[in-house]
Amino acid sequence: MTELAFSMNAPVVAHSPRPTAANATAKMSARRLNFHYDRFHAIKDVSLDIAENRVTALIGPSGCGKSTLLRTFNRIYSIYPKQVASGELLLDGENILHPKYSLNQLRSKVGMVFQKPVPFPMTIFENVAYAIRHYEKLSKAEMNLRVEQALNQAALWDEVKDKLKQSALGLSGGQQQRLCIARAVALKPDVLLLDEPTSALDPIATSRIEQLIAELAGEFTIAIVTHNMQQAARCSDFTAFMYLGELVEFGPTEKLFTQPGKKQTEDYITGRFG
Amino acid sequence: MNSVQSQQTRTSQRLLRKRSAINAVAMVLSCAAAVFGLVFLGWILWTTLSKGLVGIDWALFTQSTPPPQESGGLANAFFGSAVMCGLAIVMGAPLGIAAGTWLSEYAGARRIGMVVRFVNDILLSAPSIVLGLFVYTLVVAQMGTGFSAIAGAISLAFIVIPVIVRTTDEMLRLVPAQMREAALSLGVPQWKVIVQVLYRGASAGIVTGILLALARISGETAPLLFTSFGNQYWSTDLASPMASVPVVMNQFTASPYESWHTLAWAGALVLTFFVLVLSLLARAILSRNKVRHD
Repeated sequence: MTELAFSMNAPVVAHSPRPTAANATAKMSARRLNFHYDRFHAIKDVSLDIAENRVTALIGPSGCGKSTLLRTFNRIYSIYPKQVASGELLLDGENILHPKYSLNQLRSKVGMVFQKPVPFPMTIFENVAYAIRHYEKLSKAEMNLRVEQALNQAALWDEVKDKLKQSALGLSGGQQQRLCIARAVALKPDVLLLDEPTSALDPIATSRIEQLIAELAGEFTIAIVTHNMQQAARCSDFTAFMYLGELVEFGPTEKLFTQPGKKQTEDYITGRFG
Repeated sequence: MNSVQSQQTRTSQRLLRKRSAINAVAMVLSCAAAVFGLVFLGWILWTTLSKGLVGIDWALFTQSTPPPQESGGLANAFFGSAVMCGLAIVMGAPLGIAAGTWLSEYAGARRIGMVVRFVNDILLSAPSIVLGLFVYTLVVAQMGTGFSAIAGAISLAFIVIPVIVRTTDEMLRLVPAQMREAALSLGVPQWKVIVQVLYRGASAGIVTGILLALARISGETAPLLFTSFGNQYWSTDLASPMASVPVVMNQFTASPYESWHTLAWAGALVLTFFVLVLSLLARAILSRNKVRHD
């Protein structure tokens, strides 16, 4: 584990129930990462660390490359032709961009939740059990336990325990999104990627998810893309501000929001552009 | 100031009147066009119903096609149609679904995919008699067994395939891209994602495609003329000629015998009813699933 790429002398995040920004080690590290959509250069020479068991927020105006960056972390972009990442992206010290790195192994370690909740067209139980079944042979009792655990972790169990056999498509948007989180955490990944997980949800469902992120942070390394700066300030330990494909500033959330080091960051977080 | 305002009011009133008039004309024309189409549909249904009902009786479904001026039914033709259509679906549906899946999931926007999609569209609108002739030279003339039910089923399968390719391709492409990303991001391999997640999402559409293909081939005559030919008697042998409703209708309506005419109309009625039920079924399946896709 390497030390994080920036100074650790920053003030710690107040009111955080978790270990603070200090003493964090890097779980994933981008080193001079570049990304191209065909000829469009979407990410330019980005280097940053995603701290283990902390929440790292990626913020910036639309089209700045924050989602693209997140999508390189589990190489989900690779299902589309003409999307290419280059440079290094280390997970526990191994370069996941190396062609020999197993994609399925990577994705079992790095789970992802998307902007729009997309439950699979099957029962609530099957949604969670689906991917587990692909990796492990569990007995019925073990599987029931595993699904219950995952739904508990996603703070959904109490709401769905009596309708596990019903279609997941009947859940509300917020419940569907928590189901997607349960589906991802059921595989016991190391890293959770959240791509604007609350932008399609109402304020109550949003606060529910934010609370959940805080609870999950102790156990998982979380990277969250958000266009909502309050959200980044509320629930992250580190924040990266991106603009036009470049990483402008990266540091502990508290510092970035209270004493931004760059004019651009300050302008963005105070709402002068973006 | 006032005169300007009243000028404006007058202009807008004139415009409103003009637009109302154009709206009325467009409304009348489009209603007339709809009525024009519906009248003929109604007429066809009415003629089929009034002429066909006379021939509907128990014998229609239990007896085979009679010689001229004797009584009988269409049992052999109904059986033959069911067997050949069923076989055509059994042969065509897996191929069509597989090809449609390849188009949607693997070929995507690549040139080869576009070429195959284009060729499939040509096949979709190919005259069915051409497909019949093709199967005649490929199967009937080669095998030495002559006309056979299996050849008839193959020629119908050629009609089934492009229909199912098209619907499978379209229905899979309607499954949101996020669904694929979500499933693939769990580390599940692509073929599993397709079979276990995407097919479920698109199942209503794919089943509808199969039903519509069945409706389409159940009335096809031309491809059967050179392949299954027809059989006056009850036959369950797939290697020999077999009767089918459309071919019998073709033969019987062209004859001078009144009893054959009645049987042909009865066959037409049953066929129309069958297609109608299939279409309604397809519609019901699609609309029942529509809500769940949002």
